[in-house]
Amino acid sequence: MTRSALLSIVAASLLASVAFAAVRPRYGGILRLTTGVAPVSIDPANSTIDTLATRNIYRLMFDTLVVLDTRGKPQPALATSWQAEPGDQRWHFQLRPGLTFQDGTAIGADAVAASLRAANASWKIFPTGNGIDIECQSPEPSLPAQLALPAYGIAKRTAGKLAASGAFAITRWDPGKKLTLTARDDYWRGRAFVDSIEIEMGKSSRDQMIALDLNQADVVEIPADQARRATAEGRHIANAGVDLLALVFSRDARSADESKLRDALAMGIDRSAINNGLLQAQGEPAGTLLPNWMTGYAFLFPAGLNLAGARRMRAETLAVSSWSLGYDSADPLSRIIAERILLNAHDAGLTLQLANSATPDLRLQRFPLDSLEPHIAITRLAAKTGTLLPKFGDDSPASLYAAEAALLQSKRIIPLLHVRNSLGLGADVRNWMSDRDGTWHLEDVWLGAEKP
Amino acid sequence: MSRTGPKAIYNPRIPLMPPLRSRLQRMAYATLCVLVFLSAMHAQKWSGAQAQLAAKIITLTGPGTMALELINKSSLPRNESDEIRRGILTELASAGAQFVAAERAATAVKIYLSEDLTNYLWIAEVRQGAGEPAIAMVSLPRPDAPLSEHDAITTTIHKGLLWSQDNRILDVAVIDGNPSNMLVLDESNVGVYRLQGVRWQQEQLLPVTHSKPWPRDVRGRLVLRKDHLFDVHLPGVYCKSTAGAPLTMSCYVSDDPWPLGTDQAVLSAFFAPSRNFFTGAVAPPLGAQNSVPAFYSAAFVPREKYTLWLFAAIDGQVHLVDGMRDQVAAKLGWGSDIATVHSTCGSGWQVLANTSSNAAIDTVQAFEFPDREAITASQAADFNGAMTALWPETSGTSAIAIVHNSETGKYDAFRLTIDCGR
Repeated sequence: MTRSALLSIVAASLLASVAFAAVRPRYGGILRLTTGVAPVSIDPANSTIDTLATRNIYRLMFDTLVVLDTRGKPQPALATSWQAEPGDQRWHFQLRPGLTFQDGTAIGADAVAASLRAANASWKIFPTGNGIDIECQSPEPSLPAQLALPAYGIAKRTAGKLAASGAFAITRWDPGKKLTLTARDDYWRGRAFVDSIEIEMGKSSRDQMIALDLNQADVVEIPADQARRATAEGRHIANAGVDLLALVFSRDARSADESKLRDALAMGIDRSAINNGLLQAQGEPAGTLLPNWMTGYAFLFPAGLNLAGARRMRAETLAVSSWSLGYDSADPLSRIIAERILLNAHDAGLTLQLANSATPDLRLQRFPLDSLEPHIAITRLAAKTGTLLPKFGDDSPASLYAAEAALLQSKRIIPLLHVRNSLGLGADVRNWMSDRDGTWHLEDVWLGAEKP
Repeated sequence: MSRTGPKAIYNPRIPLMPPLRSRLQRMAYATLCVLVFLSAMHAQKWSGAQAQLAAKIITLTGPGTMALELINKSSLPRNESDEIRRGILTELASAGAQFVAAERAATAVKIYLSEDLTNYLWIAEVRQGAGEPAIAMVSLPRPDAPLSEHDAITTTIHKGLLWSQDNRILDVAVIDGNPSNMLVLDESNVGVYRLQGVRWQQEQLLPVTHSKPWPRDVRGRLVLRKDHLFDVHLPGVYCKSTAGAPLTMSCYVSDDPWPLGTDQAVLSAFFAPSRNFFTGAVAPPLGAQNSVPAFYSAAFVPREKYTLWLFAAIDGQVHLVDGMRDQVAAKLGWGSDIATVHSTCGSGWQVLANTSSNAAIDTVQAFEFPDREAITASQAADFNGAMTALWPETSGTSAIAIVHNSETGKYDAFRLTIDCGR
C-alpha cells in the first residue's frame, strides 16, 4: 500500500470517527444491520462461517478475557491481569470481579473455564479462585493476544441456549435469518448507546443496498466493486478492515517442477489490473499474507506482473499444468476475478479451468484479517489454508519475516490482493469506528436525529 | 479613545551586568551548546540501530565496494532519515565499506526505513550478482505519536491549556491563589495539583469509589464550595471533600441534583444515572416550570427581572425557558454543550456553545442573547479533537473545556475566557 493511500484511509477513518463530534451521544434507537452471511449458529466456539460480519456479531455478545489495542497489544477486558510461568506454557489470568452473564449469573472462574474448554479442547484449564490457569500443549508466548480472538468470547451454554457476557444480550435468534440484541444496562464498560441491534442475515448485496436507500437498514455491506459507485452516488461509505484475497492450493507441491509452475502462476497474475479494473481500486496488490502497515516488510515481496519471468519459469519445466480453479459461486465478483486469473495463466503458458467441484486443485479465497497481532494473524492464516504452522524464533519483526517467507516458500498459497471491506452507513449513524483489522465498535455508535 | 499612561522610566544598568555585546555572545554560545547537545542526543537515539544494521550488512557483504541507496517508507521526517543515512554510512565506512556508483559496485545495498504497528523496521536488501537478495533487518520501538505543543492562541475566546492526561478528564477546577491549586476529575480520581513555577505538581490523588459501572459517555462535575473545598457529582454518585488538611474525600450513592449554575445564577438538575443527560427535573423551579425537556447542558442569561435559561436538549434543539414559556430557539447549529461566561465584553454575559459540524475539529463560539435570537459574539475557537465536556467554572468568569486530542490521544483541559480584544 502506498503511503498516500494509507494516509487517505487513515484520514477517512479519522473523519468518520469524529464526525458530528460536537453533538453529545444520544441514547436510544434500534440499529439495523444487514449481512450476506447466514450462520446457523452464533456460538463463537462453534463458528462455521468466518467473515468480518460474523466476527463482529460475536463481539457484540461475547466479551473476551483480553482485547487488543490499535497497535495489537493486549489490554485487560474480562481479565484484569495475566502472567506466564517460565516457558510460556502455563498462564494465569485474573478475572474482573462482579461481572455477570445476561441471565444474571456470575462470570466466575468455573464459567470462564467451561467456556474456554468449549473453544479449545487442547488446553487444560483450571479455575483458581478469582482466576483461571491455562496450560497449553506447547509454549504460547502470544496467548493473551490469542484470547482476544472472537472465538474465545466467553459464553454460558445451557441446554443449547447461549447467555451473553458482552455489551448486548441475545433476545431473539432465528438461525440464519435474524438476530436481535438488546443493550445491557449493567455492562461493565457502560451501557451501549443504542437500545437494540437487529441483524438481518442472508441478504444479497442488491437487497442490502436497496434497504439502505429506503432507510430500512442503517449498516449494510458494500461489495468492493460497488464501493466507488456507492460513494459517487452520495452514500456514506466507511472502510472496515482488509481481507486477503489469495489462491490456495489443496496440497503441497510434489516436485520441483510443480513448484516452478506455481511460481509461474504467481508471477503471471496481473494484480494491478484486477484491482483497478475489477475491484475499482478498492484493494492493494499483495505479495505477502499480511499487509505492509502490519509488518513493515511487505514491499520486499514482489506483487507486480512479471509475464516474462512467468513464461521463462514455465519454459524451464516440461511438466503439464492443468489445474482446476474453485471460487465462491455465490459471489459474482469472485467468478469474474477467477476468469481474469484464467486469462493471465493462459498468457503465461499455464492451463487453468474453472471448477464447481468441492475439491479443486486451487481455490480463490478471501480471508479476513484475524488479529492486529501479526504472529496470531499469520498463524491463523496458515491454519486456514492448511499450510504448516509457522515457527517463530522470537517476537521480533525479523522472526516474523522469516516465518512468512517460509510460508510463502511452501508455494501453497499465492497472495493476490488486500481488499478493503466497505460498509454503507445510514444518515443517522454517528460515531462509526472500525479498527484496522475490521473490528467494529457498535457499542459506541449512536443514532442521531436531524436538527430542525 | 486616548489612553494616558505613566511615562516610561528605564532602570540604570546594574554595575556588575556585563555589556550587551558580551551578553549576546554568551547567549549565542549557550544556544549553540544547547543545539549541539540536542543534536548529539538526537543522533544518539539511532546510533545503536545504525551500528547494528551496518554490522549485519558487513556480515553479508564483507568489506569492499558497494552502492548504497536509502528509501524512507516510514513516517520519519526527511531530516531524521537523512541523519539515519549519515549514521549508517559512517558505521559502514568504519567497517571497511567503500561507496561507489552502482555500475562500479559488486554489491548493491538498498536500505528501507519502514515501520509496523509498534516498531521502526530498518531493512537492508543486499544484492550480489543475479541471485536472490539477502535480507537483514533491525527493529527499534516506535514511540506513540508525540505530544504536540499547544499554543495558547489569543482570540476573542482565550483558551489556556491547563492539563493533559491519558485518562478521560471529566472536569477541572482551578483555585486561584498564591500558589494556585487545581483539581482534576477523571473516572477514577480527583487529582490535586499545586502550581510550582510554571508546572502543576501533583500533591494528592483522591480515589472516587463507586459500585455500579459508569455510563459509556461518563460525565462529572467539580464544584468549589465555601464551607468545604469541593463537591464531585458523578452519575449516581456524590463525593464531598473535607474542609482542610488532611484533605480527604468520601463518596456516596446519590441521586441528588447537580448544580448547574455559577455564583451568579443557581440551578440544580437531576442527572439520569445510567445515561449522559439530565432528566429535565430542576430545582428550584424556574418560575412556574419545575421541569424542562431532558437536556445535556444548560446556560443562562440574566435579565433585569428574571433569568433566561437555555437548555441543549437531547432532541437536538435549544430550549429557551424564562419561567413562563418554553420556546425552541431558531436553528442555531449548536452542539450538546453550552455554558455561560461572565465577562467585561458586550452585554457582559456570553453563552459559549460548541458548534455542530462534520469537520475533524470541534469549535467553540460565544453568543449573546439581546432578545430571543442568538447573536454571534466572537470568532470560533478551534480545538484539535472532539470536545467531551464544557462546564462553567464556579466563579462564572470562565469555563472549562475538555477535548480529546485527535493527534495525541490525550484529554486536554482548557480554561476558556472571553478576551475583548481591546
